[in-house]
Amino acid sequence: MRGRGFESTRILLLLAFFVLGLGGFALGDVGILSRANLTSMAVFAVEIGIVALGQTFVICGGEGGIDLSVGAIAALAQVFLGLMLVAHMPWPLAVAIALASGVAMGGVNALAITRFTIPPIIVTLATMFAFNGLALVFTGGINIDLTAMPPSFLALGQGSAFGLPVQLAVIYLPLLLLFAFLQHFGRFGRALYLAGTSELAARLAGIRTTELRGWTYVISGLLSSLAGVIGAARLGTARPDAAEQMNLVSIAIVVLGGTGIFGGDGSVIGTAVATAVIAVVDYGLSYNNINPIYQAGVMGIILITLVLVENMLRGRGGLRQVWSYWARAISRDPLQDS
Amino acid sequence: MPSDASAPLARPSGRVRSIFRHLPLPGEREGGLLATLVALSLLIAFGSHGAFFTPVNMDNLLVSAAITAIPAIGMTVVILTGGIDVSIGSMLGLVAAIGGLAFEAHWSLAAVVPIFCLAGAGLGLFNAALIIPGRVPPVIATLGTLSIFRMLVFLVTGSNWITEIPPSLTTIFIVTRIGPLPMASIIALLMLALAAFILARFRMGRHVYAIGNNEEAARLAGIRVRRIKLYAYVLLGLLTGIAALMTLGQSPMVQTSTGEGFELKVIAAVVLGGTELSGGRGTILGTLLGTLIVELVGDGVVLLHIQPFWSGVLLGAIILFSVGAAWRPARSV
Amino acid sequence: MAFVELAGIVKNFGGVRALKGVDLAVELGRTHALLGENGAGKSTLIRILTGAHRQDAGDIRVDGARHIFRRPQDAQALGIAAVYQEPMVYPHLSVLENIFAGREITNGFGIVQHAAMRRKVAPWLDRLNMQAALLERPISSLTLGWQQLVMIAQALVQNARVIIFDEPTSILSQAETDRLFAIIGRLRADGRGVVYITHRLDEVPRIADRVTVLTDGRVTGSYPIDEVSHARLLSLMAGRAVEEPVPDSHKIQHAPAAAGRRPTFSPPVLEVRGLTLERQFRDVSWSIASGCVTGIYGLVGSGRSEVALSVFGFLRGARGAVALEGKPIAPRDPADAIRLGIGYLPEDRKLQGIFANKPLESNLTANALDRFTRPFGRLDFFALATAARQAMVAYNIKARGEASPIAVLSGGNQQKGLFARWAGRALKVLILDEPTRGIDVQTKDEIHRFIRSLAAQGLAVVVISSDLPEVLAVSDRVIVMRQGRVAGEWDAEAMTAEAILGAAIGARSEAA
Repeated sequence: MRGRGFESTRILLLLAFFVLGLGGFALGDVGILSRANLTSMAVFAVEIGIVALGQTFVICGGEGGIDLSVGAIAALAQVFLGLMLVAHMPWPLAVAIALASGVAMGGVNALAITRFTIPPIIVTLATMFAFNGLALVFTGGINIDLTAMPPSFLALGQGSAFGLPVQLAVIYLPLLLLFAFLQHFGRFGRALYLAGTSELAARLAGIRTTELRGWTYVISGLLSSLAGVIGAARLGTARPDAAEQMNLVSIAIVVLGGTGIFGGDGSVIGTAVATAVIAVVDYGLSYNNINPIYQAGVMGIILITLVLVENMLRGRGGLRQVWSYWARAISRDPLQDS
Repeated sequence: MPSDASAPLARPSGRVRSIFRHLPLPGEREGGLLATLVALSLLIAFGSHGAFFTPVNMDNLLVSAAITAIPAIGMTVVILTGGIDVSIGSMLGLVAAIGGLAFEAHWSLAAVVPIFCLAGAGLGLFNAALIIPGRVPPVIATLGTLSIFRMLVFLVTGSNWITEIPPSLTTIFIVTRIGPLPMASIIALLMLALAAFILARFRMGRHVYAIGNNEEAARLAGIRVRRIKLYAYVLLGLLTGIAALMTLGQSPMVQTSTGEGFELKVIAAVVLGGTELSGGRGTILGTLLGTLIVELVGDGVVLLHIQPFWSGVLLGAIILFSVGAAWRPARSV
Repeated sequence: MAFVELAGIVKNFGGVRALKGVDLAVELGRTHALLGENGAGKSTLIRILTGAHRQDAGDIRVDGARHIFRRPQDAQALGIAAVYQEPMVYPHLSVLENIFAGREITNGFGIVQHAAMRRKVAPWLDRLNMQAALLERPISSLTLGWQQLVMIAQALVQNARVIIFDEPTSILSQAETDRLFAIIGRLRADGRGVVYITHRLDEVPRIADRVTVLTDGRVTGSYPIDEVSHARLLSLMAGRAVEEPVPDSHKIQHAPAAAGRRPTFSPPVLEVRGLTLERQFRDVSWSIASGCVTGIYGLVGSGRSEVALSVFGFLRGARGAVALEGKPIAPRDPADAIRLGIGYLPEDRKLQGIFANKPLESNLTANALDRFTRPFGRLDFFALATAARQAMVAYNIKARGEASPIAVLSGGNQQKGLFARWAGRALKVLILDEPTRGIDVQTKDEIHRFIRSLAAQGLAVVVISSDLPEVLAVSDRVIVMRQGRVAGEWDAEAMTAEAILGAAIGARSEAA
């Protein structure tokens, strides 16, 4: 199974985290397990979960693949959507155009990275600045109120289907299945794994690696814009500063879920479970009225701890080394060099 | 001759006997950046009908540039060794918060300044510990500490603003000037010059480049790779601490969001300046020019009455063009 | 007494015994050649000698005293230095800085003293045919041959008493090799000890005083150079008796391929005409016929791989004509070339061939994903596994199963796997680049058999190799390349070792 990128140990670990987290919060207040709360948790997680799916492919493709512009694309798409809706465009059309804009924005990233061979971290940093800026420009910094939009639109983010929130049942889960299929059963996924493992070997084996990676950015753009659309429907407003945290959180979730930052392995299933873990932690914290700022902090702790623990298990570095390093540095002992 | 500004070139011929003979000669990239800088300045000066040159604006610009440039030195060194640190925005906020509390407790300036430095260095050490012995990839480690430090800011300030910042800070860094330059800029320039000198002429500085060029070879040659990387991250922390101090001079208050986004500005400046993310290549001069361009964009947007929201767009476009312009058609591997 | 003595060195890696009790003595003022096939343990031995690895058992004595090397610096401090095959350089730093990296001369404050460094290296520049102006250039602007000389300079300024050369000529042209040998001669005359590692038998008599043969981690023979014959050395290396090719104008007997095979020469399946790529190759014309094996012989740097990569669509920008089955082609990338029916097995399996942490099956089918794709982009895993297992049987790939990660397989089995990747496809032309580099003799034979059987089935096989006996044994005709140009072509009947070698080397007096 290892070669298929599906790392069961990590996923099991994360599932354990998930159960522990949920259990832990439930011990504090069983009310958190109520349907309404679980629904809120899910709803909250769907948007970042969708973005993380796209980010998984981008990072899996290797060669420094990363997309720092996901939040900005979501925001700008959301803004486009808002502007069109306010101009009385029928909402299915507006949504379609917003999604198309996501594809276009992903395409800009793809072009700069594949055609001009600019490192992805720089390209997406720049487009992040640019798209965020454009979102502010088009709205003048003011949120667009969408509460008066047709209920069928708002249902995208606020409705339910089969007893679950619409975005979860109708959008996220099918997407997850699709992407899992694509990654583990499809040619695209296999080719992506190979391209991420060894760029040269993949090219010489006839895999069009740059094309492949370009597509991952386009997909990421599409998914980000989808997240933006759902967010607009959920909150009933289009905000130019939406999804500010998404950039880093999505990367953290992907890495947490077992996709190595250098590419060539990982799984969207792992990403999905990691999303659930983060959702539990975040929601649990806000349920207990802990300031949202702790959410990001706790997530950072989880991420670092996980990597440290894994390093320790593999015998390279880890917590004990870190501790003795500090101790030596502080006590002014000559630092050992290897 | 290929321009390689990371390697010290031969001394200029003839009788040029200034301190500058020790520094690397500027290369193509620095020339391009300078041209961009001049062009931008002219554009802004013209478009703002001279408002660019008012003392208020210049001061603002020079101080902001100093605040960005100082940590950019540290970031350059870190990136030269092949690492990166995306947490310095939160670091700045946290150091400012800690120092701010000390101010509120009426500690004297002389007592608080070391606190800024130590706190910054300590946070840098924290990152270094995760990255070097902990073997957490720098991107991940610093993404994590970005959030952790920000959370600590909140913990420390308790979501209250800290406003009891002594005005002496402003006096020292901004009001005091030598010639046309505020003290903050003088300090920045001195640090830049010192850094450039050390990187170009000191053994440890050359080792920084060696590590970024070929870490394995450097290790085998007996270069203390781990130690130098440690120094790099600690230095970055220290310089961020100093920037925090200066920030308080510029705007005397600390909020939970102080420093948000700062790391992106600094990284943009360093990358614009020609330092390659893969390490081993880059100059302080480039970083200085990159910083000035980044600051100019922000300033220009205000002066030209462009909606401030455009600054992000412009910055993004400039980064893309400048890095892309260095692209030459590759004939495959 | 020898300056450096290794006694009973044992080294294990995981479950593999790389060195099984090796003795080696290095005398000052002498050149000691270490001969062995790839995988014999030479590199491991050298890493132990330079302190990069610790031996599991055995002693190292330097100048009579026993030493334990904990770090490379310990060996360096005693005057042991190594010059590796691929120069370990700092690309963006100057030549001078490369020479002194880690050992810069500084004043009391730590400021690097360039003038002093230039003075220190000046005496050696002469011996290395280097000019002082070279010192300020970025090392990446030098060719690999010159970079190697810089590495030698690095060893010299460290006052190395013993300098180890690890297969240095594999990246050098003939003229550069001559220059290197002259320099080694001078080092020897200076009273330094030289250890020269190679698998090229013909180089040994030119520079060595003593030769030690390493086979499979053991010393199988150690002699002063004039007390041992070429044939004996060859047989020791191979581990069994091998008939030495007669080095004068007798025709070479090469193992006859499947009976009845007759090379078809018209029309050629692949025709390259006047292909030129700036700084890589010039005016190259190849005529590759189906049903036979065309060997492309030449030294490293002669441009063979580049031509192949150009035909394969990996290197762009070449001018000239390439025609497949009479029709002009211009593949944009390897995927195109593969679709047209051209295959290419890369030179460096580690960097260009395998997907190390992926299973054997993924490696075997990486270039054929389309064949296993069903509607909706779905991969047929059953078919993939079946195909992988069939390949394992057909090519005798020893692995626990098709799901084992390819990294745990031996070099020979990995290479067979890569071979199977291509041999299993329906191709018109298959280009193999150094197909038996770095693998054991038995697997080498196996692959040679596979190659001939492919040709017998009608495929046009191209074998690029810098191993002369291999080229002679496997090819029906040989094209020789030298410095980016075609230097000669021979058919089976007319091939002789010296004619081919002569063309590859070129006129002796020609400058590099």
